[in-house]
Amino acid sequence: MQSISRRKVLSLAAQLTALATAGTLSPAYSAPAEAAAEIAKFTAGVVPDAGRITIDLPEIAEHGSAVPLAIDIDHPMTPEIHVVEMLVVAEANPWPRIARFHFTPMSGRAMVATRIRLAGTQTVHVLAKTSDKRILMAQRQVKVTIGGCGG
Amino acid sequence: MIFARSWIVIGAAIPLLAASVLISIGLAPAATPERAAPLATDGPAAARPWIRYGGWPNRDTSKFNSLSTMVSPPPPKAPRTITTPLAGDPIAGQKLVADRTRGGSCIACHVMGPAGGADLPGNVGPDLSEIGTAGRDDEWLFNYIYDARVYNPATVMPPWGTHGLLSDSEIGDIVAFLKTLTRPAPFKSELDDPSRRPIPREQRDNLDPMINPAVWAVEERAPALWKSPGPGGAACVSCHAAPEQAFKTWAAAMPRWEPRLGKVLGVEEFVARHAKATTGHDWLMESEENIALSTYLRYLANGALINVDGESAPAKATYERGEALSTRKIGALNFSCADCHSGDKGAQKWIRGQWLGELRGQLDHFPTWRTSQQSIWDIRKRFQWCQVAIWADDLPPDASEYGDLELYLAAQNAGQKLSVPGIRH
Amino acid sequence: MTNKPRIKVPDQIRKGEIIQIKTLVAHDMENGLRRDQAGKVIPRKIINRFTCSFNGKPVFACDLEPALAANPYFVFSVRVDESGLFNFTWTDDDGT
Repeated sequence: MQSISRRKVLSLAAQLTALATAGTLSPAYSAPAEAAAEIAKFTAGVVPDAGRITIDLPEIAEHGSAVPLAIDIDHPMTPEIHVVEMLVVAEANPWPRIARFHFTPMSGRAMVATRIRLAGTQTVHVLAKTSDKRILMAQRQVKVTIGGCGG
Repeated sequence: MIFARSWIVIGAAIPLLAASVLISIGLAPAATPERAAPLATDGPAAARPWIRYGGWPNRDTSKFNSLSTMVSPPPPKAPRTITTPLAGDPIAGQKLVADRTRGGSCIACHVMGPAGGADLPGNVGPDLSEIGTAGRDDEWLFNYIYDARVYNPATVMPPWGTHGLLSDSEIGDIVAFLKTLTRPAPFKSELDDPSRRPIPREQRDNLDPMINPAVWAVEERAPALWKSPGPGGAACVSCHAAPEQAFKTWAAAMPRWEPRLGKVLGVEEFVARHAKATTGHDWLMESEENIALSTYLRYLANGALINVDGESAPAKATYERGEALSTRKIGALNFSCADCHSGDKGAQKWIRGQWLGELRGQLDHFPTWRTSQQSIWDIRKRFQWCQVAIWADDLPPDASEYGDLELYLAAQNAGQKLSVPGIRH
Repeated sequence: MTNKPRIKVPDQIRKGEIIQIKTLVAHDMENGLRRDQAGKVIPRKIINRFTCSFNGKPVFACDLEPALAANPYFVFSVRVDESGLFNFTWTDDDGT
């Protein structure tokens, strides 16, 4: 059995780990900069608050074509103060914007359930704007299996 | 009326034979017909020439076994001797093991340290993250990849070398990479570790039309087709005025042996041949009409327990054939159904992020809506895809081998409740 | 597939109750990235806007992108304070 010097093994290991995490194996549409730009446009300089937003997404989606997404925001919906708008942004889709929702006090609750397309494993960001110009924010990571065998 | 004529021709031609065959088949009580249903017995029940579906990979895999041919190259008689150390490139090797275009890639079945970002590897094969310290030499590693059958004739491992999927130098690169694997894989989360990943369970309500578009086919399309007259003026409804009552369990006893054709008929082929013989409609297998009606006929039997004949001589012979087909190694990747779906091989394991189920539980929801395909797939199309996915030639939907396989599969699913249409990714 | 949108609203609604409405419409939602059998790109054609109003007043709306799955499905809530008429609109890229 051939032996390689320990130093060579370690440096190889480092190279391989770097390769694995660097981006050669990253999703096809990795676009965190575009996603960040969308988010910046929405927040317009306001620092977002965390909390209040609950994102329901599967941990693993067996295929990205119809991933169930449910969002609920724990926030009053009165004429005086309510959620006005919600933006959903993806980091690794062909286009970062997934959807924009508009609520009114008549919504009763700022919630929505729908089905979205995810092009690969990525983080989904949800941002909400309230009538008094505050921003709420949350995110969830979804692992998307693009076929093992099933197509 | 074409219908009356066809019935008389087929019924009269072999009346005694039909009666005696029915008795000896001993069909399950719920499905015993009062008379043999008319069937168009000439010609295929699916389009010919058979061509692979558009959008499906079009590789030529005719040099490898299929369910109807045995042509794969034989395994080598002995391992190849490797005397000089291989000088492969481990960086190239790491790229190869994660490359999905190369036969699924190694990490579909193996955890391999940091390869693939340690992101959703599979575990059908052993974890190779520490193979670099397992005392295996170049010759052993090379040959295991080239053709593992020289060490383990019952292996699931594809013969990457014998089947021409990887060149010698590529195998050398992979060996070089394997030798760098000396530590457990750095999983980022429990989801990435196949031994801790939660098993997926289909939660969607498959019978809710808001969730499953296939339900529209049984709610609207199939009832409309049921009433639609063929060239002679007859429609399904001409003889079957109340399908909801008449077919409460019919589909649960399918597929079944059809003596007039000498093969097993599933619901889809039955619909094609029966509609042709009675109404003149050309509802070939895999056509939109056939799928709607096949889904409808199974849907009408929802809740019924799958219960196919297993007692008659033809059924027993079919079961043997089906079982043999399910263990036949096919395709460039040299997999059998059992390699992925039997409990002692790949079932209850992961290939990448997909869970492999056992044979039991694979039939009760067919035909099923596939969200990734935006269409309804019947079981024959599912068989065809399985073949293409493992780089084997698929057969036409009405192939007798598929009938054998379907009956074998139905026998494994005896007692399962139908819930059709299903919904899957 | 049917073109008729499907809407689920609870049968009995009490004044002031917050209810959930489910809507579904059949639409391929072509994202403009798929190719047909000949290899030609299938052009984008999606529903780009969904609105729900009650007695003429807007309640909920969505600006859809190609990232919404085929057969767009929404569940959203409405507080109903009076009897009245719900109006739903789906707008396709082509204006229909």
